[in-house]
Amino acid sequence: MTILNEAGTPDVLSPLHAVNGLAERLPGVLVVVVGTRAEAHIVQTLPALDLPRSLKSAQVAFVVLDPEDPPQQGRVATRVIEAAAGLRGTGFVLLVVGHSAELLGVDADFEARLVSRRLDLPTGVANPDAPYDVSGTLSTDLEDRALAALVEVCPKRRTSDLLETASAPAQKRSRRFGGFLGGSRDETRPSRTRPVVLLGGLASSGTADELSGELERAGVEAVGRVPATGMRELPALGEETVVAAVDPNLTAALGAAAERGARVVSTLTPIGVDGTARFIHDVAAEAGARANELARARSVWENLERLRNRVRGRRIFFAGDTGLEVPLARFLADAGVVVLEVGAPRLDRRALAEELQALGPDVDVVQSPDWRGQMRRIDAARPDVVVASPGLHVPLVARGHLCRSPQDFLEAGVHGYEGARRILELLVSTFERAEALDSVNL
Amino acid sequence: MRLLRGVYEGPGSHGILRVAASMRGVHTVLRALPGEGYFPALYGARERSGEAAPVSLSPLRGIPEDSWGPGDLVRDLSSVVRRHPETEAIILARSEAALLSGEEAPEIPESDEAPKLVTCEWESPRVGEVEAADLALEDLVRAHSRGRRERSPSPTANLFGPPVFGPSAAAEYAEAERLLVLIGVGVNARVPLSASVADLSRLSRAWVNVLLYREIGESATLHLQDEFGTQRVTTPMIGAAGTGAALRTIGELCQLDPKRVQQAVWAELARTAKLPWYARLGRPETFRGRRVAIFGDFTYPLGLGYALSREVGLEVAACGTYLEHLERDFLFHAHTFTDEAFVESDPEEVAARIEASDPDLVVGTYLEEGVAASLGVPFLPLCTPTTHSRFVEQPLMGYAGSSVLADALDSALSQPEEPEAVETASMPWTEEAREELAGTPPFLRGRARRLAEEHAREVGSAEVTREIFLRSRR
Repeated sequence: MTILNEAGTPDVLSPLHAVNGLAERLPGVLVVVVGTRAEAHIVQTLPALDLPRSLKSAQVAFVVLDPEDPPQQGRVATRVIEAAAGLRGTGFVLLVVGHSAELLGVDADFEARLVSRRLDLPTGVANPDAPYDVSGTLSTDLEDRALAALVEVCPKRRTSDLLETASAPAQKRSRRFGGFLGGSRDETRPSRTRPVVLLGGLASSGTADELSGELERAGVEAVGRVPATGMRELPALGEETVVAAVDPNLTAALGAAAERGARVVSTLTPIGVDGTARFIHDVAAEAGARANELARARSVWENLERLRNRVRGRRIFFAGDTGLEVPLARFLADAGVVVLEVGAPRLDRRALAEELQALGPDVDVVQSPDWRGQMRRIDAARPDVVVASPGLHVPLVARGHLCRSPQDFLEAGVHGYEGARRILELLVSTFERAEALDSVNL
Repeated sequence: MRLLRGVYEGPGSHGILRVAASMRGVHTVLRALPGEGYFPALYGARERSGEAAPVSLSPLRGIPEDSWGPGDLVRDLSSVVRRHPETEAIILARSEAALLSGEEAPEIPESDEAPKLVTCEWESPRVGEVEAADLALEDLVRAHSRGRRERSPSPTANLFGPPVFGPSAAAEYAEAERLLVLIGVGVNARVPLSASVADLSRLSRAWVNVLLYREIGESATLHLQDEFGTQRVTTPMIGAAGTGAALRTIGELCQLDPKRVQQAVWAELARTAKLPWYARLGRPETFRGRRVAIFGDFTYPLGLGYALSREVGLEVAACGTYLEHLERDFLFHAHTFTDEAFVESDPEEVAARIEASDPDLVVGTYLEEGVAASLGVPFLPLCTPTTHSRFVEQPLMGYAGSSVLADALDSALSQPEEPEAVETASMPWTEEAREELAGTPPFLRGRARRLAEEHAREVGSAEVTREIFLRSRR
């Protein structure tokens, strides 16, 4: 594995594009974007580049600041309260406050406290422009910040809870968190493991639930997920809670969990067979259980053989956008796909240490790739498929390249053993369709 | 500071990008936060031309002194010159965050050598997308149209139309060009869509400037009028009457034989223009007392307002624009066909104005779709901004456009009225339920009202109570 820092301008979808998805996927959350006209325009224009839905979702509002008349302290909160007034069932207010608002003097934390006090609702702040320790922007950065804000409003775990966890029958908790675990289970054994909270999977919540099931099968109790299916379902999180991220690059959210005293697991992302096996193993170990996933992983690989045969030797290029590209490349390389390049608009080597170690020796990672350089390399290498960032997608298709969007993978559900199958199926169906279209005599 | 559910316009930098990306040989350097470089993605998805957007991001961020990565504006500008030798003009756009950061535009001495740098010194966070597009086009025209060229031997016109992302922009130019050729006027340049920098330097050859889309072209054509005396035609070429009026004025300014122009107009009225034909064929009852609310930019609401009121006989119950900087002009023109002309940039207020006008048809931007749905009336998304991008574009301007309009109206006005509308009006509401309804955003109010009344009927209640209203929203 080679890492090259191209120090270019990567093509990355604005993190603000995620606002509509957050409002849609987080029931009971009112998202208020505080900024100038620019932020509102991005949010409205870029919901997956599809039909703008912001106006159809009453859960998104914009506080548009007047650059020539910066708001007095507390005025933003007043507007947010107005936005919340017409809505029912709001359980959490998320203020998205970027750099422009900061330049205009908005103290996001103060406004959030004021909103929280007046509405008697938990209120969090997410700054899509806040820099990370490592430079670079990913399209998923706002989701990371939003998860961090949700972590901060999770109920705190007390010492008495810990005692309860150690002695209470699983059945009792199973009722409590039945929504996550997909129904009741007839296990009555007392749990001696630490509770596990899964973090992430915003774009594919179903697969995170599958992971909870896998963990439970391994004898680990996944007591909840952030995000949850509702604000009331947010799990207790604190000391002795094991927190595991199902997506890479959730540094802000994991940092918030660590500040709570949670035990953050450093492991592979549960993407692909080996990634999932290692994830379950490491999470179980941290929770105090022993899980041997070797046999399961071997069996899953065997079941995937037919699909692997269809993709083996195919050449893939990841332009880089969401940060999921590194674990996806790791899995596909293991499955026999030739990974030509993995673009990483931001590469936090410390946070991704496990992933980078697990990447095969023939994979090149390009940090801060220059998108024009990528297009030249794609033209030269002629990969079988390009997982293209949104700005490159149409130009690459026009040049005759077969492209898929990173969002396609996210929506298909990439986590867990079933996710591994879905990833391969997505690729196979992509090749099949391309072959069918190419066979038409135009 | 305002609480909004959406915006009609983007920031000024977006307007500059739209104009620059419309032209050939113009490259934009966008000074913005790393997360603001969304134009290439939008361009790819909306234009679907296969070309990469001619824009480079100069990220506004602290960069270490020993790094050669992008971020230093002067170096990024030089890099564009070096890496894009085909570029004839570079335009600098700064995002609102960049403007608010207080960073000064770099002082680069003016040079006659290509590529020319246009710095848009008027940029400010107060200038919105459309005004910025207009001013950027003027700057580009000023920078490249120096020195009078000899007028073309035969009559020609410059077409100033919509930029990229305009609904069916290319089709609007094509239809206008077709009609000009019919009356004997050639097209000297199409600006900004597909114009090259060389086209800009030849603008003074034209006999007349035709403003298809006045929002973006007003300043540039005024400059050309002051500098070279080129007359302008500003009548919106929408509807058969508007198109005819524009063609006659063009003919006059190009000293054409009025009979020839009139013959061309008649021929088109006989062959192509179906709006007058539709208005005569339709049963008078289809149009009588039907009210239309129109909202959008400038050219389309005004042109459609004229056409729908005069040529079709609909009552324009309300007509508005979100372009506050064109307020005076808009109200002056709109008051010729409606008493309810207004200027408003808050979508909820617009929805409330439309709701209050009690229309049978809403013509607007995509942001008005919700209010039309809530009122249960047909909706035609004919005004900018729109979201759809078609592979086959259809003009709304000219005679062909009048036929497209006729089809759209025919489809919308022939829809049977929903019988529920009568029932809903008669159902009583308790005071508490009304208060709850008043707390609903206006663009959702109509739908919320219908759902509540449906639910009341389902549960066998003679009136809508607060509890029924709340249950219906779950």
